[in-house]
Amino acid sequence: MATQNPPAKRVKREEYRRSVQAQQESNDGSLIKMPQKKFFRQRAHANPFSDHRLEYPTSPAHMDWSSHYPAFVDPDTSKTNLSGGRKLTKEVEVVDIGCGFGGLMVGLAPLLPDTLMVGMEIRTSVLEYLSSRIHALRNQQQRLKKAANQSSTEPQDASTKAESTESSPAPVPANDDEIGTEKLFPGNFENITAIRSNTMKFLPNFFGHHQLSKIFICFPDPHFKARKHKARIISESLNSEYAFVLRPGGLLYTITDVEEYHHWVLRHFLHGEQPEGGAAPAASSKDLFERVSEEELALDPCVRVMKFETEESKKVTRNKGNKYVAVFRRKADPEWPA
Amino acid sequence: MAGLHHPFQCLRYVNRQSAGQSDILVATAGRNLYSYDASSGQRLDVWPQPVDANVEDKSSDAAPASESQGPPEKRRKLSSTSEEQKDAKSESKPKDSNKETSNSWTNIPLLTVAHGKYVVIMTSEDKCVRVLGLDNEGKLQQLSARTMPKKLSALTLTPDEDNILTGDKFGDVYTFPLIPSGEYVQVQAPVKAYEPAATNLTVHTKRNLESLEQQMRQAALSKTNPAERVALNFEHRLIIGHVSLLTELISVSRPADSTVGKRSYILTADRDEHIRVSRGVPQAHVIEQFCFGHTSFVSSLCVPSFEPKVLISGGGDNYLLVWDWLQNQILQKVQLPGSEGETTVRGIWDVSLAPTTGNADSVKAIFVALEGSSQLLYYTLESDNTITRQDTLQLSGNVLELTGIDSRGSILVAVDTLRQSDSTSAWKSSSQPPLETFQLSSGKWAPVEDSMVIKINSEGTSSLPTTLEEKQRKELNDSLYNLSNLRKRAGYDE
Repeated sequence: MATQNPPAKRVKREEYRRSVQAQQESNDGSLIKMPQKKFFRQRAHANPFSDHRLEYPTSPAHMDWSSHYPAFVDPDTSKTNLSGGRKLTKEVEVVDIGCGFGGLMVGLAPLLPDTLMVGMEIRTSVLEYLSSRIHALRNQQQRLKKAANQSSTEPQDASTKAESTESSPAPVPANDDEIGTEKLFPGNFENITAIRSNTMKFLPNFFGHHQLSKIFICFPDPHFKARKHKARIISESLNSEYAFVLRPGGLLYTITDVEEYHHWVLRHFLHGEQPEGGAAPAASSKDLFERVSEEELALDPCVRVMKFETEESKKVTRNKGNKYVAVFRRKADPEWPA
Repeated sequence: MAGLHHPFQCLRYVNRQSAGQSDILVATAGRNLYSYDASSGQRLDVWPQPVDANVEDKSSDAAPASESQGPPEKRRKLSSTSEEQKDAKSESKPKDSNKETSNSWTNIPLLTVAHGKYVVIMTSEDKCVRVLGLDNEGKLQQLSARTMPKKLSALTLTPDEDNILTGDKFGDVYTFPLIPSGEYVQVQAPVKAYEPAATNLTVHTKRNLESLEQQMRQAALSKTNPAERVALNFEHRLIIGHVSLLTELISVSRPADSTVGKRSYILTADRDEHIRVSRGVPQAHVIEQFCFGHTSFVSSLCVPSFEPKVLISGGGDNYLLVWDWLQNQILQKVQLPGSEGETTVRGIWDVSLAPTTGNADSVKAIFVALEGSSQLLYYTLESDNTITRQDTLQLSGNVLELTGIDSRGSILVAVDTLRQSDSTSAWKSSSQPPLETFQLSSGKWAPVEDSMVIKINSEGTSSLPTTLEEKQRKELNDSLYNLSNLRKRAGYDE
């Protein structure tokens, strides 16, 4: 397939991506088309230990979010951060680690229209797609808004309710590239963005102590070989970092289609069964999390988005695979030992 | 002193006055660990023993003899036999003691001292943490040898000095008791058949399915012949992990103040510019703070004993940062000589001197050495917790290591005996004395004659073979000057 004529394919890709770029840069208010995923596919693995060529802020106080959330920039121009960028009216609170093509971000955006969310992805092509997609979504929402205002003075409240995402998935079930083109969504996708990063190294460069209320880790790279398990994005030592950026009461969502990985997740977040009469388990980052009950998850709309609206979850559904969900609540830090 | 001698790589002054014993200086050079009487400079012991371990009386005589003669190959062979005997007693795995019959290490880059009577070292190539007893007479006896999964970049102790803390090149921090409790039962790897984590529900492409089939076949085979599991076969705990090369690890105790009691912390630094502040054991999984401000790797952390609220950090940036580390607050940015992209901080040391006849006030000194530099920068910590440059000390060779001798109001500096000043690769034709000492008088540090240092310098350390190939020289350079490898190189990307 790819071996037959790779240069032609690559040329086509580059041409397409250049045209997407050009279209976005021309700020003339014309319709921006949704990017097509097929031109942005990339190998599903990246080495988290290598340096890549990453840009990351020196500290959370240096992070300039203003270009990512133009609708949330503080109107007071005197408020700037350490790198001179404009401050926002609120802080980023939700992170999707390894957001891929952004299905979760796009699905969550109308559910939490007033919450700033960011997807983080290490693969450049995939990130480029998502950035273009968000840009196009915002553009189309603005056009729809304008059209709605012109056609009638009545507010389009009916379509801006949270349930609206569920109401009519029928016309575009197979192609995410078209979601968000025909009607208005709450928040108009102004509350989501995507950033290239290696969160295993640089998550604390972006977010301060207890800043986040939700972290999503959806269908992480399973790193099947035992030798590669150190590269897994969930481990007791990384969980300490998630606990640092997650506020007490905040939630960390995980979903995977690999049963073994699911058990790995449970093992690294929860103390195992202790032998009767045995010593208490050694203190570890497991003390900082507790599992959220099934009943509670059934009421959480984020779980539904995670299970059915991400690209990976759709693929698993198509292949009739299993999905394993585990959500953990951040507990308060333990008291200092006396 | 003819020929080339190894420089001292680690240096530690062991104050044993409180225990009613005389002070001792311990140091590593080449593959050996030495102990010296701190008043006379008399060499008390060298480890591993260069001659047969059974002839213990001879050890002090044998050591100086070894410098004038004896090809190193032969010495190594002899010492490794004594090594083997010792190791048979230790907990090291049989596989490792076999390995030690060949040259298992060429240098000892890390050393710390516990309770004034235990020396903890890491031998380089075999990644082994060895605890040695240091007795009243300064004799060294290996008590345990524990092999780590990765080479260590930092080795220290918890504030009570009962547990060892190690930081390795994989970013992991382990803790284990200084003296193994003996209660530890070796973990028998559960004999569990290997099962591929992937299934035909999770992999779909033709190639992945093929390799899954392969794995299934492998699993069926391994059921009859379970593979031996590699584990750290001693009592240990993984307490902190960075996804980066860990460069430095220190353990700090903050005394109780009006609001909180005494608290201990672990500070770790990595190649990705981070300084992390975690709680001390057993709550090291709680991260309290990150100190952001460096734009290149961090290689040195120093929390002065006289002001534990303050941290001085340095690395690949051409500046030092002075912190209120618990608040992630930069108190001062101190420019270093040298241009961006070339300056590397090799070490930061704090030395406190009580008021003496020569110096009316107590001295809170901070010394900073740059990699491959023969100058030692002298700063003092001021009352507002900033540091002020006072002086620059010129040494006869590159500064490698420093230790303060409070009782004499002096510092002892290990200098590079092999390489020319301000070079990390050009060699000298003959060795220079490995130690220099300075004393503070009326605000200036001046070189002084110290009978201990004269004696140690006259004996030298283990000698190098007279003919060294380029490759061996490079290896020796790399073992002493490896910090510049931490610098990130532009280039690789997806």
